Amino acid sequence: MGEFKVHRVRFFNYVPSGIRCVAYNNQSNRLAVSRTDGTVEIYNLSANYFQEKFFPGHESRATEALCWAKGQRLFSAGLNGEIIEYDLQALNIKYAVDAFGGPIWSMAVSPCGSQLLVGCEDGSVKLFQITPDKIQFERNFDRQKSRILSLSWHPSGTHIAAGSIDYISVFAVKSGSAVHKMLVDRQYMGVSKRKCIIWGVAFLSDGTIISVDSAGKVQFWDSATGTLVKNHLIANADVQSIAVSDQEDSFVVGTAEGTVFHFQLVSVTSNSSEKQWVRTKPFQHHTHDVRAVAHSPTALISGGTDTHLVIRPLMEKVEVKNYDAALRKITFPHRRLISCSKKRHLLLFQFAHHLELWRLGSTVATGKNGDTLPLSKDADHLLHLKTKGPENIICSCISPCGSWIAYSTTSRFFLYRLNYEHDNISLQRVSKMPAFLRSALQILFSEDSTKLFVASNQGSLHTIRLLEGSFKHLHTFQPQSGTVESMCLLAVSPDGNWLAASGTSAGVHVYNIKHLKLHCTVPAYNFPVTALAIAPNTNNLVIAHSDQQVFEYSIPDKQYTEWSRTIQKQGFHYLWLQRDTPITHISFHPKRPMHILLHDAYMFCIIDKSLPLPNDKTLLYNPLPPTNESDVIRRRTAHAFKISKIYKPLLFMDLLDERTLVAVERPLDDIIAQLPPPIKKKKFGT
Amino acid sequence: MVQLRPRASRVPASATVDEGQPASEEEEEAGHGLLLGQPSSGAAAEPLEEDDEEGGDELDDEAPEELTFASAQAEAREEERRVRESVRRDKTLLKEKRKRREELFIEQKKRKLLPDNILEKLTTAGQTNIKKSSGKLKEANLQKENEDCDKGSDSKKAKVQKVQSVGQNKSYLALRLKDQDLRDSRQQAAKAFIQNSLYGPGTNRTTVNKFLSLENKRLPVKKAAAQFLNNAWGTQKKQNAKRFKRRWMVRKMKTSKK
Repeated sequence: MGEFKVHRVRFFNYVPSGIRCVAYNNQSNRLAVSRTDGTVEIYNLSANYFQEKFFPGHESRATEALCWAKGQRLFSAGLNGEIIEYDLQALNIKYAVDAFGGPIWSMAVSPCGSQLLVGCEDGSVKLFQITPDKIQFERNFDRQKSRILSLSWHPSGTHIAAGSIDYISVFAVKSGSAVHKMLVDRQYMGVSKRKCIIWGVAFLSDGTIISVDSAGKVQFWDSATGTLVKNHLIANADVQSIAVSDQEDSFVVGTAEGTVFHFQLVSVTSNSSEKQWVRTKPFQHHTHDVRAVAHSPTALISGGTDTHLVIRPLMEKVEVKNYDAALRKITFPHRRLISCSKKRHLLLFQFAHHLELWRLGSTVATGKNGDTLPLSKDADHLLHLKTKGPENIICSCISPCGSWIAYSTTSRFFLYRLNYEHDNISLQRVSKMPAFLRSALQILFSEDSTKLFVASNQGSLHTIRLLEGSFKHLHTFQPQSGTVESMCLLAVSPDGNWLAASGTSAGVHVYNIKHLKLHCTVPAYNFPVTALAIAPNTNNLVIAHSDQQVFEYSIPDKQYTEWSRTIQKQGFHYLWLQRDTPITHISFHPKRPMHILLHDAYMFCIIDKSLPLPNDKTLLYNPLPPTNESDVIRRRTAHAFKISKIYKPLLFMDLLDERTLVAVERPLDDIIAQLPPPIKKKKFGT
Repeated sequence: MVQLRPRASRVPASATVDEGQPASEEEEEAGHGLLLGQPSSGAAAEPLEEDDEEGGDELDDEAPEELTFASAQAEAREEERRVRESVRRDKTLLKEKRKRREELFIEQKKRKLLPDNILEKLTTAGQTNIKKSSGKLKEANLQKENEDCDKGSDSKKAKVQKVQSVGQNKSYLALRLKDQDLRDSRQQAAKAFIQNSLYGPGTNRTTVNKFLSLENKRLPVKKAAAQFLNNAWGTQKKQNAKRFKRRWMVRKMKTSKK
């Protein structure tokens, strides 16, 4: 494999935002997750829990509620008082409707899917009608005294439970008047000065209302009489979320201590028909508040302030007990946030509202395998570029020569020219960027830094030629067949002839840049693409999918390569397929065409195409033993996948030149150190 | 005002001086009395004060001076008049100040408003309550407006109920700033509510450092806290030290070269 000096970078101060709401859609098995900075991400749970779409955040959009309506429509409502519908095809916001009730705290879709209920700050509950292209205000229900923090529909659509501060009201939908008002104790068996906030309510079809509140209680109410049936104290802190399964035989609650409890309806004795709700399982996968939970038919999903998304399949619901039934914890992003300029050893870090440009340090020392070399020159923070406006940055890129930086937000596109003179850099903005470049999903510079490729969310690909201080629009590749399909990933060949672009559903398109037309399309695969790259000289397109399959497609020959067919026939090693995190970056060695370097969050791997492929019986992870073991053993166990787990968690890894690698790590402790304060836990002996 | 009889220990000469003096002294006395809460206690405290001030000469018993009712009444009236005068003067001064401020505000407001011709145009365009939006919105909406004009679509995510292009150029979107302020204040109140209920007083929160160090405390060999070092301590001092060191090195090089 060769010897490499590795630049181990830990100064990327990446802190993801906490998860605020989670909504599960049963028909398409997708999960919509909204974060505190306004980003909404869509995870495809059947495609190995891959994040396939996302909507960038906005400073004023603090979402408080998220829900799916009939026909795969996604709505969110937040503290700016607007109900927003998202366009899942074009990856932008369709429209925003102001509810005129002040900040919106909760939202619920009726069981038939055609009506939307919204609970506002001023205590009003508003009913909206969902029309095919918009939503329309229908009427207001009786106004309550304090803000409506949680809402739930009865499965028949006739009644609504609304949780507020210190009380729960039950409304009849037809008349809009409050039928019952149930007062909630401020503390379990006691009095308290702090008001009791009802964080979540759920209405079951037999008329039971389940409420969770800030005193740590889970209460069961009878909506016909308006009385308390059962009272459970499950935590010392707030219980912040509740989600009921479709069959109404189990529900899950999340607390502020990070514990998630599972309640199930079990029969009192083994053959009686009488059932009662019993707290069955506690799960402690979070350290901070669990602010959102969801219940899919087979799994419990939870997310909170500690930014992890945890999906716990329930063992009794899973049919086949294989690796699919394992716990999934999604912590690191599924996209690349770092770009690298190889010539000048620069790294560009993308944050939500700014970009940072760093120059890597250098060393003159040499050492053996495993040594840490001292730096002769420290890493330098060259540039801190803040974006104007409240929108988040969608994507960014630096050119390989290091003279151009481009980034895009929803409404604007920015292109900067960098000039270097002895250690200082100066920045110059290229003004008057054309309007069609905004809202780009992916930006890529060509290898010689003369061309810029921009993939917009409308499905078109723009090619721009970069001149000294200005630009010229060369060409736009329009999407096929009238469907709007956003292009998510781009790859350009080092010789500048080919451009590969992958969308969300169709195959990977390969365009000929010199002749400006579509060259071929790689056949579609039912899992989304997570990484793309084109090898130098051979022009092989390497594609990694979310189910950990790696394909190699030869662009000049328009067919899969021999190696790719071989490995598809044999199949990948079972441990390779059981990896949790997707491959986010692929790169190549300039002098060794048989090597492919790829990485995911917990390992990086060099695939040597000349060595034999491993089958399920061989050891997949066999690092080189430190002492020289016998050559025979080494030859016997050597196979094509050279995996190293030294650097983890990895956010980015690339080959800078023939003997240098750069690995950007982000230790989990550093992320946790910057999170908001958690609930105090008293442990004996401390 | 309560008239208090002058004390026995008072210097007799002072009583024969101006009318004004006893009155002021009485005021002082009364003032002391009021401060101490009761005249009696004032009286009780008086001798101590007097003793400190004037030494021990005035301990002789002397008959208190006779002050006629008329003179005392005259003094009191004088007092009241003076007080009334001062209050009236204060009021007029305040009034003046307020008037000046009002005028200043009107000036500023006039300066802020758009010139009359544009206002006329706005009102004749058939739209009430339109004011120019801030620069940022203008720019962002500029592109949106252009795009939408090109496409000819009507639906936009506009904050304002109606979108009206003013004039021929159709280059900006008009918003009512008062609505925006109201909305912002409500949003702030909502955020403050959430912050208070989750992280405010009464919630049982702890720092991340303490939370992560809980494990370390219970190990058989106790380890240090998770964030034992405070790297943010004294950053300014460290920076200054670094700069000083660099400059000192340069100076040393120069002198050593010479």
